[in-house]
Amino acid sequence: MATEFHNLQELRHSASLVNKVFVQRDYSEGTTCKFQTKFPSELESRVERTLFEETVKTLNNFYAEAEKIGAHSYLEACVACSTAYLIFLCMETRYEKVLKKIAKYIQEQNEKVYAPRGLLITDPIDRGMRVIEISIYEDRGSSGSSSASSSTSGSTAR
Amino acid sequence: MLNSAGKRFKPTKYIPVSTAATLLVGSTTLFFVFTCPWLTKAVSPALPLYNGVVFLFVLANFSMATFMDPGVYPRANEDEDKDDDFRAPLYKNVEVRGVQVRMKWCATCHFYRPPRCSHCSVCDNCVEDFDHHCPWVNNCIGRRNYRYFFLFLLSLSVHMVGVFSSGLLYVLHHRERLAELQTAVTMGVMCVSGLFLVPVVGLTGFHMVLVARGRTTNEQVTGKFRGGVNPFTRGCRGNVEYVLCSPLAPRYTVDLRKKPPVKIQPPFLRPDLSDCQIIIKVSDNGLHSTVISSKSKSSLNVLDETDTQPPLPPKADRYNQLKNQITATEESSLPGKIHPSTPAMYKFRPSFGTMPKVHYHATGEKIMMPDDPKTPAILEEGVRAHDYRSEPNLDLPEYGSPPLHRTFQSSPLQLDAYPASSHTLSLKQAHHLHQRATKGQLPALQPETLSSSPYKGVFSPGPLSNRNGSLSYDSLLNPSVSPAAIATELAAHPGLPSMGFHSPYLPTKMCHIRGPELKRQQQQQQQHQPVVVAAPGYSPLMQARGMGRHSPLSREREPSPVRYDNLSQTIMASIQERKELEEREKRQVIHGRPQTPAYGHDPGTFDSPGGYGPASACCPDGPRGSSVSRGPTPPAYGGSRDNLMGAGLGLYGQRTPVSRHATLGRAPRTSSSSLHTDHSSTSSSQGRPAFQEGLYRSPGHHPHSSPALPRSPSYTNQKLSYISALERTDSPRLGGPREAMMQGKMNGQMDCHAISQPPPPSPGRHAHKGVRKVTGVGGTTYEISV
Repeated sequence: MATEFHNLQELRHSASLVNKVFVQRDYSEGTTCKFQTKFPSELESRVERTLFEETVKTLNNFYAEAEKIGAHSYLEACVACSTAYLIFLCMETRYEKVLKKIAKYIQEQNEKVYAPRGLLITDPIDRGMRVIEISIYEDRGSSGSSSASSSTSGSTAR
Repeated sequence: MLNSAGKRFKPTKYIPVSTAATLLVGSTTLFFVFTCPWLTKAVSPALPLYNGVVFLFVLANFSMATFMDPGVYPRANEDEDKDDDFRAPLYKNVEVRGVQVRMKWCATCHFYRPPRCSHCSVCDNCVEDFDHHCPWVNNCIGRRNYRYFFLFLLSLSVHMVGVFSSGLLYVLHHRERLAELQTAVTMGVMCVSGLFLVPVVGLTGFHMVLVARGRTTNEQVTGKFRGGVNPFTRGCRGNVEYVLCSPLAPRYTVDLRKKPPVKIQPPFLRPDLSDCQIIIKVSDNGLHSTVISSKSKSSLNVLDETDTQPPLPPKADRYNQLKNQITATEESSLPGKIHPSTPAMYKFRPSFGTMPKVHYHATGEKIMMPDDPKTPAILEEGVRAHDYRSEPNLDLPEYGSPPLHRTFQSSPLQLDAYPASSHTLSLKQAHHLHQRATKGQLPALQPETLSSSPYKGVFSPGPLSNRNGSLSYDSLLNPSVSPAAIATELAAHPGLPSMGFHSPYLPTKMCHIRGPELKRQQQQQQQHQPVVVAAPGYSPLMQARGMGRHSPLSREREPSPVRYDNLSQTIMASIQERKELEEREKRQVIHGRPQTPAYGHDPGTFDSPGGYGPASACCPDGPRGSSVSRGPTPPAYGGSRDNLMGAGLGLYGQRTPVSRHATLGRAPRTSSSSLHTDHSSTSSSQGRPAFQEGLYRSPGHHPHSSPALPRSPSYTNQKLSYISALERTDSPRLGGPREAMMQGKMNGQMDCHAISQPPPPSPGRHAHKGVRKVTGVGGTTYEISV
């Protein structure tokens, strides 16, 4: 996070982090991972409601798919048990696969939808799956006042 | 041995796990070495094989239970933590399948623990679906490793039973050679396994029951669902399925993923705001007024766009200012959802140093308004909040110069979500403060400058202006706040005038705009007591005054954008009263009636029922007529205090109708009489007309009236009485201390008529100048040009 922020500050047309919005979990259906689709007021003027809701709904669907108890999970449990859980050293679990899909989706959403609007969605897994953190950036103009000391502009390499 | 800061190597915590591991591995090894060869020969090779497999299973599960992350939540990030740290409530309620579940704030991890999560003191972590901390595996048992722990118990029981029975078989066949090494060892193993079999099997059975019921050990032991419904159960089969076959949950703590960073470069796209255009107007007629016109699909009417405001600072500057203000506002807010039905357990958080950022949507959801009108409304409110923020800076000497520039600074042209957030935050904060107030946790108030000190006391140190502003704003929108604020203030200033009510001054347009929003607010917050919003009731009155006085100026303004059909009842009532007042004034001017304010001398007029000139003078026909229509006039209103008391009682007795009938004529008396009376059971309608009549009868009692203040004193008094009446009726529990205070004050006033100045309803009034300062309920001070 810090690194990312620092990179953003180095950008020539700097955008600076102004605020963070946290979309909380929706516990109405138990402890299954689900996020509230309520549109935060801070994003009223930043992003269209439909886009946001669609993002959250897609994420919820991903998580539901990951946590689904069905044939796939039975198989996984049996195989794991029978191999004395050594299978975990070789294979990744279903949940982890879905998490990778989620990460990719969030990355894509950030690039296509949110970054152009000055927003950034943080993967919930980085926050313990408790919140979806949306960082709001503001345009500070082409700033020479940026605190970045690095002269490289737009360095995205971490 | 110190490994890292704060983490000491405690060998003692490894004793149980070492013992368990030693016993397990050692005993089984001995069993395999000494007993199994004979078993292989005598019985079958399958028996040791079976035992071997089971033992492998035990080991695997034991290792998983020991080394697997149970579902530890990492500490919350600073930014998330900041707004949460500021929370007043220790608990937050959430509904899980219809059952209210409390989420406790974890001070170590800085978030509200999700349901079923608990903080393990041994591991010093919050663990998801916390079951217990098992010393035998030296690990917490949580969501991720509960299955392995359960299987470990099962397999261990099976294993122990197997070992014991095999050993028994061996011993029974070697009875005559008990002294032999093998036999002796087998007997030793049998003893160990037999000894630990009982607690292990007991624990296994206990967990089997837990799994079937879908509970954790923590919940079972603490008796959470004793006699209640477990919202987390999925049925017996579902629970077993969940424990055994659910996918392995991910780890939260380690994030070695290297994500390619996303470039964020301005310019940024903005959503299409075509259907809700927001325009801010700032008019300068000595009043702070920010008018926002919004065009939306909602019933909120459209304002005509007129560019009356002076040029506004550039957008970029506004961003900075806005950001700072918003940050400050947000920092001062106390987001948090408080469910009214839950017994509140509020933790007073003195750490107001850190500034939180927004935001708890759950709470905001409660406060925010429905969709379409939401955007403009919230933005308006936010802007207003900013305005109010700027206003408390006006101290007594400053009232003369309404700093228009301040208005500009605070009213953002760029209407993004910040105002909304500040609004939501302020509301939440107000709610929190309200609850804190009722809990009596407020620090002692210092009666220094009445204008803002009470509210400073009410609010913890910090961006006072934010709080004051937002609270005053909240007093309009969240009526439940005002009584609390007033109650606390009153309680803290027993000697002070009971008028803690400071009606927030609102420009006309603001008042009008608030109407629909207030209505919506009230609709949304129906679970709150429908405390009649004193503030809006006042503001229209004040507005009326302002409008009346500055009629030429007001005419220059645009017509009110608000349609009256969507305003709440109280607003309507107050607006009606204002209109009536204006009409009366006009009539008075026409008829040449003296309009002497009794502001400075209201107490002096207590001995006569009609002590308030403009008040009584101003309500000639309308209220009288209405009063007559309401009921029979009680006798003896010739200036008796009883009459006043009766009137006050009547007023007090009234509930909602009070708002409707809160006429100016009644108000001045109400302030005294209502204070005086403590009984709400008296006949309402009878008392009221009498009161009014009494006022009307003696319109001329205005000992010292300066034309400079034609109406303001009476208005303030009226306002006072209005608020007092309303609050009395609507919040009886808060009325207690206030009433007592008022009563005492009233008595004092009644007794000594020589009080030159009435206990100012809002401290800091300057009756002798052209501008009056009115302190709103939230402590914000407004200037009213007279």
